Amino acid sequence: MRRVANRDGGALAGLFERHAPVTLGLLQRILGARGEAEEVLQEVFLQIWMQADRYDGARSTPRGWILMLARSRALDRLRRRESARRREEIVGEEGGEMVSPLGTERLESLEVKRQVSSALGALSPDQRHCIELAFFEGLTHTQIAERLAAPLGTVKSRILLGMNKLRQALSAHA
Amino acid sequence: MSTPHTPRIEELLPAYALGALDGDDLHELEAHWVSGCEECRRQLALWQGDLEALAAEVEPVQPSDITRARVLRLAGPGVVSPPQMSVHVRPTWLGIAAALLLLALALWGLLGQARMERQVRGLEAERERLSQQVNALDRQVGLARDEARRAQQALQVLAAPGVQSVVLAGLGPSPAAKGRTYVNPSTRDALFYAFDLPALPADKTYELWLIAAGKPVAAGTFDVDPRGTGTVRVERVTDASQIQAWAVTIEPRGGVPQPTGAMVLKG
Repeated sequence: MRRVANRDGGALAGLFERHAPVTLGLLQRILGARGEAEEVLQEVFLQIWMQADRYDGARSTPRGWILMLARSRALDRLRRRESARRREEIVGEEGGEMVSPLGTERLESLEVKRQVSSALGALSPDQRHCIELAFFEGLTHTQIAERLAAPLGTVKSRILLGMNKLRQALSAHA
Repeated sequence: MSTPHTPRIEELLPAYALGALDGDDLHELEAHWVSGCEECRRQLALWQGDLEALAAEVEPVQPSDITRARVLRLAGPGVVSPPQMSVHVRPTWLGIAAALLLLALALWGLLGQARMERQVRGLEAERERLSQQVNALDRQVGLARDEARRAQQALQVLAAPGVQSVVLAGLGPSPAAKGRTYVNPSTRDALFYAFDLPALPADKTYELWLIAAGKPVAAGTFDVDPRGTGTVRVERVTDASQIQAWAVTIEPRGGVPQPTGAMVLKG
């Protein structure tokens, strides 16, 4: 990441080859439409190219930083899309393969994936669903309660307990 | 004015990291953060790490060639160009002139790229600033909507024809405490207000119960503010005519499915 900050084009290319597939997977999971996800992917890597000096290795891994940048941009776009009251009808584009929520296919880092899969297995379906709605759709407690027609307190508890279970399971595998 | 770092604040952090916190919870955490809190920052980084692992769980998708080409164009010419054929030719004046021309073009391209990068950086900063403004406004609108929705929901219960109200009296450790429930029989939404209850240790919470068919049913947990006031909104309670009583007990934080602690209000 330091090399990218020093305008090393080769380093950016390496970063793209290593992290773009999972980043695009995340963007497509959030945005649905393949074309829009690719567009945001370009924005993310432009931001990385321009702001790599803001990366703090003590706080996250390069992949974690890139994924959180991508999530933030995708959720911004999702909110703008919703606040515009769905002016554009989002349709699946030709060739755009939808990814399953938290799928279980092969990933570059199989070990990390195995740990996360195992950690997610520790969550109840309700807890997992609430966390997915917050993480991938950017919904708040209140919005999740409305979406699920569940009491607000229940949603809060599910997220809190789910996140704690996730932490425990990830720690156990670390 | 910032508030102290308590276990309650720590409970809010996972949802904050997720971006799910809203309403009073968000106000509470923001009030705590007015002066910045190192412990919160440390814990948030840990939650962020968990979420990064969650993000990496998705199925990878290969970017299109167009996206790859656009991104790698940033990296500069030659970074992803295919390997050149190695052809040994004797230099000629024409070749040297062509090489100089190519060099000049490359320099011109680099200067243009630098200029474009400056423009992009400026636009990016402007976009970021506007995006932050939009987010701040969105958040304000969201909070105002939350407030309005809560007020509307409370009004719908309190002003409903035939609203049923029950007074809860203080028991045992809190004889001076009082409570009141309001149930809208048509929507079956209920509101509960508690008054003059003492604050609890960080690992405890108050839990509201309704008793129907002789069995307690959990109706939500709550904490009280410094004045001893707390509130719970319950959606779709059981048929109001079947509710035999309401009660409040002290339970472990997070609540329990069946009451285990001391009863402090009943009515």
